Amino acid sequence: MIDVSYLSAAPEMMLVLGAVAVLMVDVFAKPPPRVHGWITAAAYLAAGASIVLQWQRLGAGGGGLSFGGALVLDPWAAAVRAVLLVVAVLGTLCAWEMLAGLGRRMAEGVSLVLVATAGFMLMGASVDLVMVFIALEIGSIALYVLAGIVRSSPAGDEAAMKYFLLGAFASAIFIYGGALAYAGTGATNLFDIERFLNDYLVARPAVILIGMALLVVGMGFKVTAAPFHSWAPDVYQGAPAGVVGFMAAAAKVGGFAALVHILFIGFARYQGAWSDGLAVIAALSVVLGTLLAIGQSDVRRMLAYSGVAHAGFLLTGMTAGAPAADGLLFYLATYSVMLVGAFAAVTAVSGPAGAGSSFDEYRGLGRRSPVAAAVLALTMIAMSGMPLTTGFIGKFQMFASAWDGGYEWLVIVGLAASVAAFFFYLRLVVLMYFRPGEENGRDPDAPLPLPVTIRWVLLFSAAVTLVFGIYPGPLLGLLTRV
Amino acid sequence: MELSDYLPIAVMFILASAFAGVSLVVSYLISYKRPTPEKLEPYECGIVTEAEPIQRFPVKFYLVAILFVIFDVEIVFLFAWASVFGELGWGGVAAVTVFTLMIVETLGYVWKRGALDWNVSRRARYRAAPPAEAAQEMAA
Amino acid sequence: MIAAAIVTADWYMTLAAVLFLIGMAGLLLRNNALVMFMSVELMLNAVNLTFVAAARAHGDIGGQMAVLFVLVVAAAEVAVGLAIIVSIFRIRRTASVDDLSELSG
Repeated sequence: MIDVSYLSAAPEMMLVLGAVAVLMVDVFAKPPPRVHGWITAAAYLAAGASIVLQWQRLGAGGGGLSFGGALVLDPWAAAVRAVLLVVAVLGTLCAWEMLAGLGRRMAEGVSLVLVATAGFMLMGASVDLVMVFIALEIGSIALYVLAGIVRSSPAGDEAAMKYFLLGAFASAIFIYGGALAYAGTGATNLFDIERFLNDYLVARPAVILIGMALLVVGMGFKVTAAPFHSWAPDVYQGAPAGVVGFMAAAAKVGGFAALVHILFIGFARYQGAWSDGLAVIAALSVVLGTLLAIGQSDVRRMLAYSGVAHAGFLLTGMTAGAPAADGLLFYLATYSVMLVGAFAAVTAVSGPAGAGSSFDEYRGLGRRSPVAAAVLALTMIAMSGMPLTTGFIGKFQMFASAWDGGYEWLVIVGLAASVAAFFFYLRLVVLMYFRPGEENGRDPDAPLPLPVTIRWVLLFSAAVTLVFGIYPGPLLGLLTRV
Repeated sequence: MELSDYLPIAVMFILASAFAGVSLVVSYLISYKRPTPEKLEPYECGIVTEAEPIQRFPVKFYLVAILFVIFDVEIVFLFAWASVFGELGWGGVAAVTVFTLMIVETLGYVWKRGALDWNVSRRARYRAAPPAEAAQEMAA
Repeated sequence: MIAAAIVTADWYMTLAAVLFLIGMAGLLLRNNALVMFMSVELMLNAVNLTFVAAARAHGDIGGQMAVLFVLVVAAAEVAVGLAIIVSIFRIRRTASVDDLSELSG
């Protein structure tokens, strides 16, 4: 009697099965680390195969709601899953050295990465506010633990604590928004909310509008939009280097994935209201993120504030509503790959489990590790939005959407911030190539060891940034071409 | 629901209160009273109290308490399932079986990891299993 | 009847809003991690109250189901949050977030 299409949740099931298998095998067989690697790889392969099957189903005109209307199989959900799968694979490779160094707790680390990925994937597929909340918590709680998984690191503990307190706060705000929306409309399912808002003239929409605002604020925390970004720099700085890229990218993709469904489906009727709200948050994020990034002396904090600015650019595009979905997907996919690539380079510099990453450590990186320096420079240039990189095309899409949506002032703010952002992105590039590192009495030209897993991540992310930057066709407009 | 439907509940409530109250009052009235210092102390499992409770409890209490909370709360989903047991049929049974297996899996993990052992020896044994990796963990 | 005023769902929702704001204020103003943590729980319970009151007002069971999920999520948060607090306490012997200043820019 309840419509259940297992395909619409298959990737998550594969990942969770993988996590269970890792834990069980670990505890009963006590295997060497590479066994966990095989199981994880199998889980990722199975999840990837499920996503391919989902695309085929969508291509054949299938899809739609399942699990009592809690999950939807639409192009957005499937595409977001694909992005998250890539982020997870890259993140796992990047974190592998750190995870393998956890000793007997390695299985926990690996399964947490798998579970977090499953949670954020579910966020992109959920069309029921309660389901979104659960998916959000599955992902977030796993990330809180990952931030503090290196026991001996006080910075990691502190990052976990800050992430946890503000994350729990944001989740509470989000679900209170859901409760108010339910109080106003009598439904938590986004399609039911949409139907209610279309069918009835709501005389006093205050409760629904406040609920909607709280939903946006709660998600704003998760995607590090200003003024809800305060946790991000501390967490990115304190968490073990290997997982930061995954944490940052996965949370951002998941948050935007859910926000798109919530606003574009559930509250499409109130687009006038939420567009203006998003525009204000977007302008704040872009300006604050850029200004604060300029003053940083730690690469991770700089990347965190640049992430705030990027959340602002994504929100800029979102103001246009549903037509922006294609551009949003492109931006999310390419930005998260850039972010993981940049943090792979950070991992190489500060060690797999290290915290903090001051600018001084990057002096002369161009000679110490040409590959890491080149890819880090490329991602910086791409993040600043230079042409011939994916960053330019993504930003262009966002600005075009906002311009068409009538937010010309927002585009001008964004352009001004982009110009100012060149300063801090290029500062790192200059530091790596034109400033020798001679302090601390160490050999300035000592080659930096680059584990093979990190090398793969670096090369992949560079390839994606360049190839889709020059030839964006295959990725752009993916949603409409199902 | 009629108000009269509540009558049996009210009667039950009154009877229960009356029984408890009468027992207490009667035993108070007819019992011998020979107070000694030990008897006047707060009741603590029948053992003579020696000192104030220490301020901090060992962390293993926390571990067991938190595991209890988790497993306890997960069970509410069984309650929801039970209330529509008939309508869901075998599909519901299958879903709940999967859910229960996931919980059992967690329990199995916690158990094998040694989190339920009151004595630390077994956890130490688990940690010490392959010497090389134990050393690695110490270093990490 | 002796009822001077009929208690409607609005009353409960107002109470929930007040509880939510108290929790929010507690989280933002206090600096003890445990108190902040309790504030979050208060916020989640305000959410539960809103869900139940709205479910009653709409005559819909969905809100009551949502409460179960919020409860379970809150329990999971308790487990992880307390573990983090214990872990920090072991190293620093304090539960005040003001003393957490390892990270800054």
